[in-house]
Amino acid sequence: MIRERVRAPRPRRPWGSIAMFLCPALFFYFAFIIYPVLVTFFNSFHILRQDLGLTYQFVGLQHFKEILSSDEVFWKAAGNSLTWGIVAPLIDMPLALTLALVLHAKVPFARFFRTVWFTPLLMSYPVVGVIWLWVYNYDWGMANLLLRTIGLGRYAEAWLANPTTALPALILVTTWMFTGFHMVVLLTAIHTIPQEYIEAAWVDGANRWQRTFHIVIPLLRPTLVNLAILDFIGKMKQFALVWVMTRGGPMRGTETVATYVIKRAFEWKTLDLGYPSAIAVIWFVIIFGLSVGLTRFLQRREALEF
Amino acid sequence: MLQARLTTAILMLPVLVYTAFSAGPFVWTAIMSLRTTDEIYRSHYGLPIPAHWGKFYTAWTEFGYSTYFRNSAIVAGTAVIIITLVGAMAGYGFARKRFAFPWREPLFLMLFLSVMFPPQIMILSLFQILIKYKLFNTLPGVILVYVSTELPITIYLLRAFFAQIPQELEEAARIDGCTDWSMFWRVMFPMARPAVATTFILNFIYFWNEFLYAVIFITKQEIRTLPLAIQFLVSDSYQDIGMLATGLMIASLPVLLMYLFLSEWFVKGMTAGAIKG
Repeated sequence: MIRERVRAPRPRRPWGSIAMFLCPALFFYFAFIIYPVLVTFFNSFHILRQDLGLTYQFVGLQHFKEILSSDEVFWKAAGNSLTWGIVAPLIDMPLALTLALVLHAKVPFARFFRTVWFTPLLMSYPVVGVIWLWVYNYDWGMANLLLRTIGLGRYAEAWLANPTTALPALILVTTWMFTGFHMVVLLTAIHTIPQEYIEAAWVDGANRWQRTFHIVIPLLRPTLVNLAILDFIGKMKQFALVWVMTRGGPMRGTETVATYVIKRAFEWKTLDLGYPSAIAVIWFVIIFGLSVGLTRFLQRREALEF
Repeated sequence: MLQARLTTAILMLPVLVYTAFSAGPFVWTAIMSLRTTDEIYRSHYGLPIPAHWGKFYTAWTEFGYSTYFRNSAIVAGTAVIIITLVGAMAGYGFARKRFAFPWREPLFLMLFLSVMFPPQIMILSLFQILIKYKLFNTLPGVILVYVSTELPITIYLLRAFFAQIPQELEEAARIDGCTDWSMFWRVMFPMARPAVATTFILNFIYFWNEFLYAVIFITKQEIRTLPLAIQFLVSDSYQDIGMLATGLMIASLPVLLMYLFLSEWFVKGMTAGAIKG
């Protein structure tokens, strides 16, 4: 009795309403995201045979040791994924920035071009994959047609059948898909730059080039960094395009970590879910660590925002 | 005057080159979708004269596209409705001061960080879980997974919108006797229409085109979605490129036609996740 009187009145929270609004979402979130993530961590310490009714056999850190010390396919796949993650933003960002600046410089039909460039992102990976299988066809594909037309026919290539050209060929496809998207985001960011900054520079006698390179581009830096990180993360997860176009071949030239995990789980004769789970855990730690680290490093104070 | 024209001409050069690169492959496919495979093998870059519009009917009736289309429509339609309702409620619950509780912000941060999770960290155990609850190889199973994986970004976007609505409005409605429930559905949800439309479009396109989860969780032919069907047709009847091109158009046209009429909304929806501030 006395204790109750002494205690400061607690704010009354509408717990019923809180539960009503949050519980459905939290159910989905915990049942289908958090719980599976924990199960994957748990599985990574076990052998989990699909042909033996998914019975668990504890093996400790054995999978991790094997992956990191002797799994050459994993290292090949990690190298490919990392290459994709690093090369793609290096191509996409300058290209998207150039296009955004050009459209901003009052080119006629800017809206039309923007609409066209954005379209590839609206198609599914299988659709894009099939279209580009045709583009890269040796005999009648657009890529070789172009080379033969401009007299460089000797460089014509079976782009997806050659281990050295297959990965670059796939990277170009993601550039085709995403550049329009990056361009639109950058264009939006350019439009939010206060006009006074540009006018002030103009009054000070800065010409168009100087205004672009010393005012506009530095102000776009946070957006560019943000897009580059998103692009990097997206490419590190790349699965669908590879699955449709090359299945990781030729000679694992386009194998990514994502495709290797799926193959190892469902196409390997071990039929073990534990080992691929361990790969997934390693890759999860790397992607998460790199995303947070890159954000800190490139953006300092600004947090990663979506 | 002359210089201005010269500048425009120089600027147009990269624009036109990139447009050819960007539109070329798709236009080529669209043209092939109206030609028969025989015509295509005779000349891969011929024009669709005469245009075989009947191919769309053939693909729809004889190649199973009506089934795949229906499956995609069921999955994307159901998932987008569920995620919009559940996501809006949670976005509202996370946004308003009235619903604050001690570990709400850490919970939201956790939700937000999961946007970065690679799907592989969940997919194998989801496979296991779906089998256990008899949801493997069913459309409801796929719908549940789709809703869950897109929820974090949806809640994040809608929370930002609900947080901007002024406190006074809420108080006024409360004085008029609104309960939290009716306040949400009668006042807040209708006000959030622009943000809801944005996430609706973003999610619909994602669900319509989703491939990774579908390829693992669906193995029966009769419940394949369009992206899955196309992947199988590539391996089954790759020689019949004319019909495959028609299939690609069927799979893409719903989204592309909507884009034609609502391009501003599409651009807004698709880029909503990436624009800062």
